[in-house]
Amino acid sequence: MDDSGEYRRIAVFGGVYSNYLALEATLADAGGRGAEAVFCLGDMGAFGPHPDRVFPLLKAGKVLAIQGNYDESLAMGKEDCGCGYTDPRDNHFARLSYAYTVRNTAPENTAWLGRLPRQRRMRLGRYRTLLCHGSPRRINEFLWESATPNGLIEKFLREYRADAILCTHTGIKWHRILADDHHLVNIGAIGRPENDGTTVVWYALLTAEDDLRVEFIPVAYDHEALACEMEHEGLPYEFAETIRTGWWTTCLEILPAKERARGKY
Amino acid sequence: MTTPAAPFAQLSALWIQVTGTWCNLKCTHCFNASGPTDPWLKSLDTGTVLHSLEEAESLGVKEIYFTGGEPFLHKDILPLVEAALRVAPTTVLTNGTRITDRVADALAALAAASPYSLEVRISVDDVDRERNDRVRGRGAFDKAVRALKLLSGRGLLPILTATEILQAELSEGTGMYDRFRDFLLSIGIAKPRVKIIPVFRMGRLGESGEDLLTEEMLRGFDFSLLQCTETRVVADGGVYACPILAGLKEARLSEGSLEASFRPCQLYHRSCVTCYQTGMTCRNA
Repeated sequence: MDDSGEYRRIAVFGGVYSNYLALEATLADAGGRGAEAVFCLGDMGAFGPHPDRVFPLLKAGKVLAIQGNYDESLAMGKEDCGCGYTDPRDNHFARLSYAYTVRNTAPENTAWLGRLPRQRRMRLGRYRTLLCHGSPRRINEFLWESATPNGLIEKFLREYRADAILCTHTGIKWHRILADDHHLVNIGAIGRPENDGTTVVWYALLTAEDDLRVEFIPVAYDHEALACEMEHEGLPYEFAETIRTGWWTTCLEILPAKERARGKY
Repeated sequence: MTTPAAPFAQLSALWIQVTGTWCNLKCTHCFNASGPTDPWLKSLDTGTVLHSLEEAESLGVKEIYFTGGEPFLHKDILPLVEAALRVAPTTVLTNGTRITDRVADALAALAAASPYSLEVRISVDDVDRERNDRVRGRGAFDKAVRALKLLSGRGLLPILTATEILQAELSEGTGMYDRFRDFLLSIGIAKPRVKIIPVFRMGRLGESGEDLLTEEMLRGFDFSLLQCTETRVVADGGVYACPILAGLKEARLSEGSLEASFRPCQLYHRSCVTCYQTGMTCRNA
């Protein structure tokens, strides 16, 4: 595990999903908010067009990244993305985007993904902070707000000796403060909107002063341009629709009841 | 030849076989031969369930499932679901026959009061009434559909759960998932949810099929694909390795303590081959 130092203010994003236009906008926004470091919790590819376009941006932005399940699958040459879907419709769409991403990612970028650490640790003020993709115990475990019990978070914090855990993988942000000033922050995703009918994407700004302050920052970007490129690349119509409308059209069966109820489909 | 064992990783899913094998239906393919008379596995008393929920919470459980038999036959099922929802997201597996307006209202109120999701899985084996009722019993289809509608109408988003028992009768290329999804859309359920599980050749179907698992078959196998590495079931008589084998003495891992059941379980049963081959899980996802 990588030890990534001590900070007072950091920007954290995840789930890039090849959305290089949102990545560009996120990095510009974070730069203007005084973040001492920018972290990415993985899943550079999937869903969007031209996967190679995110890598120069991540490198130029000196982003401290970890592997997501997608990155791990690409780097290891696995047959599927390891997203953890369980029904045929979601798996159908996952296969299409994984095949496209494998085909269009340069070997040097795949190798770079393979060299990323799986987790990072740091001090955020007085908070011992663990950064992971899905959960501390599994790279593709979904931690949804309505499906993550307090008892489980406490267990993670105890076993991994942390005061705060930052994760992504689900694509929908949330933050819970537990007893003893313990935190779990799912920082959301910048690759696609979060199933709320708006086209913005989200990242998190964390500031450690007396307390830990977590702000979720909406990022607007040229989503229409991205949707057009996705169509031009032959990616599924359903994906472009999500970018244009803010409603998820795929990956629906993995949503717990409360999160599913908030969406359109 | 030694029986292979699956290591225990962590308690992720706690199952509570709350009504044992007591059910108001008598499906022809029921893997644990549940039925209305002389259940071979008794219901759990309320105190036992509450104690298990408390222990599971301290052990960091991620999700809780109520099953049977038919859970809505238990006199305290609603308070038990309420107690479970204070601990973790909770799922009830039901045939839907007991879900009336009153029960649906109560479930909706419990769901709204909890930060965690309440999932209700309703068993249907075919979108055709006659074919479904041939295996599940007369009237089962209409009551299950009523339950699906009542819950959907209250924003609860039930999960239609189907076994593959009638799949062999369908013409090739007929996607089972799509058939159920289209059916749900056709009855006005705008957010269709479908879970499909394989048939276990046991219980009322009688045991047949594959040979047992061997050490050789499991060499290099990713054990995390087996749900018994992170699932435990509280049922009459103690704590068992998985929902399929609950109540069978060979699968019993402790007399009641969850923590004492955190040890490898023997993959001794023919149904273990089904999990090994299909990667299936009884969990929602």
